[in-house]
Amino acid sequence: MKKHSLIFSLITLLFISCEKDDICPETTQTTPRLVIEFYDLTNPDETLAVPGLFAIGLDNDDAQVPITNEIVTTRSLIALPLKTDATETEFLLYKSYDIVEGEIIGNPDKIKITYATEYVYVSRACGYKTIFDIQTFAITPDEDLWMIGSDIINEKLTNENDIHVKILH
Amino acid sequence: MKMTSMLKYCISLIGCLSLCMSLHAQEDATTTTDSLVVKHKYGLRVGVDISKLVQTFLESDYSGLELNADYRLSDRIYVAGEIGNEEQTTSTDYLNSTAKGAYLKVGADYNMYNNWAGMDNLVYSGIRFGISNFDQQLNSYTIYDVNNSTWGQTEVLEGENFKGLSATWIELVFGFKAEVLNNLFVGLNMQMKGRLSEKEPNNFENSYIPGFGRTFDSGNFGIGFGYNISYLIPLLKKAKK
Repeated sequence: MKKHSLIFSLITLLFISCEKDDICPETTQTTPRLVIEFYDLTNPDETLAVPGLFAIGLDNDDAQVPITNEIVTTRSLIALPLKTDATETEFLLYKSYDIVEGEIIGNPDKIKITYATEYVYVSRACGYKTIFDIQTFAITPDEDLWMIGSDIINEKLTNENDIHVKILH
Repeated sequence: MKMTSMLKYCISLIGCLSLCMSLHAQEDATTTTDSLVVKHKYGLRVGVDISKLVQTFLESDYSGLELNADYRLSDRIYVAGEIGNEEQTTSTDYLNSTAKGAYLKVGADYNMYNNWAGMDNLVYSGIRFGISNFDQQLNSYTIYDVNNSTWGQTEVLEGENFKGLSATWIELVFGFKAEVLNNLFVGLNMQMKGRLSEKEPNNFENSYIPGFGRTFDSGNFGIGFGYNISYLIPLLKKAKK
C-alpha cells in the first residue's frame, strides 16, 4: 500500500515539474493605442462618421508604413499604434480612400503626435507595457484639409477604453 | 532543461528503488524475539542537495548550493533546517532577470513510517519557515505591445539593479530518507510553499526568490524539490519505548 502511494506521489512530482509557459492574457491592458473620435463641425457634441477612413503610418523619412489590420471603413472611431521607442509619431488620415485604376484617390491629411513614454511593469507573463503622456496633437496644414479642428481630451494614454483626441470635420 | 528533467527522473527512480529495496529487506527480516531490546540511532544528520549541484553544472543560468541538517528529538520528531544560496536567471519572451541571494529554512519533520527492528528510515512530512535576502538584476526587457507589427518591437537593454530585497514563506515538506549504507541516507522531497511577505522592487517584481523558487502571476504559492545525500553522525542509541 505504502509503496503504491509513494510511486504515485513520485509520478505526481515529475508531472508538476513540467511547468507550462506563461502567456500574457488577452484581457490584460498592455501598451494602448491612441483612440481618436470624429465629431461633427456643425454640431460638436455629435460624432460624425468619416466616409472611407483609412490611416497609414509615416516613418522618420516620411515613407509610408501600412498599419496592421487597418482597412478602409466608414467610422467615427480609430485606434492608432504609437512608436514605443520614440517621442513622436506621424500618420496620414485619408477621407474617402479608394483605389481607382491603380490611382489612390481621397483626401490625405497629416497628423503628428508628440508624447513622453513610460515603461510600466505589468506582470511576469506580460513584462512591461508603454504608457504615453500626450504633449501635442497637430494637423499639418495643406490646401485641402478635411479635418478642421482637434482637441486633446485625455492626455494620459493608459488604456484604449478612453477617447484621447477629438477631431472636428 | 530536458537533460535536467531526465536526470531528476533518474535520481528519483534510484531513490525510489533504494527505498523499495530497503522496505523489502525489512519485510524479509526475521522477527526479533521479545527479549531483545531494539535500539535506534539518534544524532545529527548533515547533507547536501545534489539536484542543485547537478543543475549548477548542467545549466548556465543557475548556480546554487544547499546544505541541510536534522537532529532527532524523539522517536518520530526531528528538528530540521536548510541553508543555501542560489543565483537564477529567469528568461521569458519579454523579460530577462537574475536573482541572487541566500536563504535559511528552519522547522521540524515528523516521521510517519513504522520502522522495523533496528531500521531508521523516514517517510516524513514537515514544516519550515523560510527567509531569503537577495538582489535582482533586470538584464533586459521587451515592451509588450500587441500592435507592434507596425513599428516593430522595442527592446530595452539597459537594466536596473535592485538591492536589499527579501521574502519570507512557510512550506510543507513531504519526502523520504532511506539508509542505503550504514549511516548514509538518500532522500527525496517535495515542498509546497506559501509566501508570507516580500519586499518587491519598484516597477518590477521578484521573478525568482532564492530558496523559494520561481514565482507565479496567479498567486503566492511556490513549489520545490530536493534530492539529498546525507550522513548521520550517530551520537547515542535509544531503545524505542
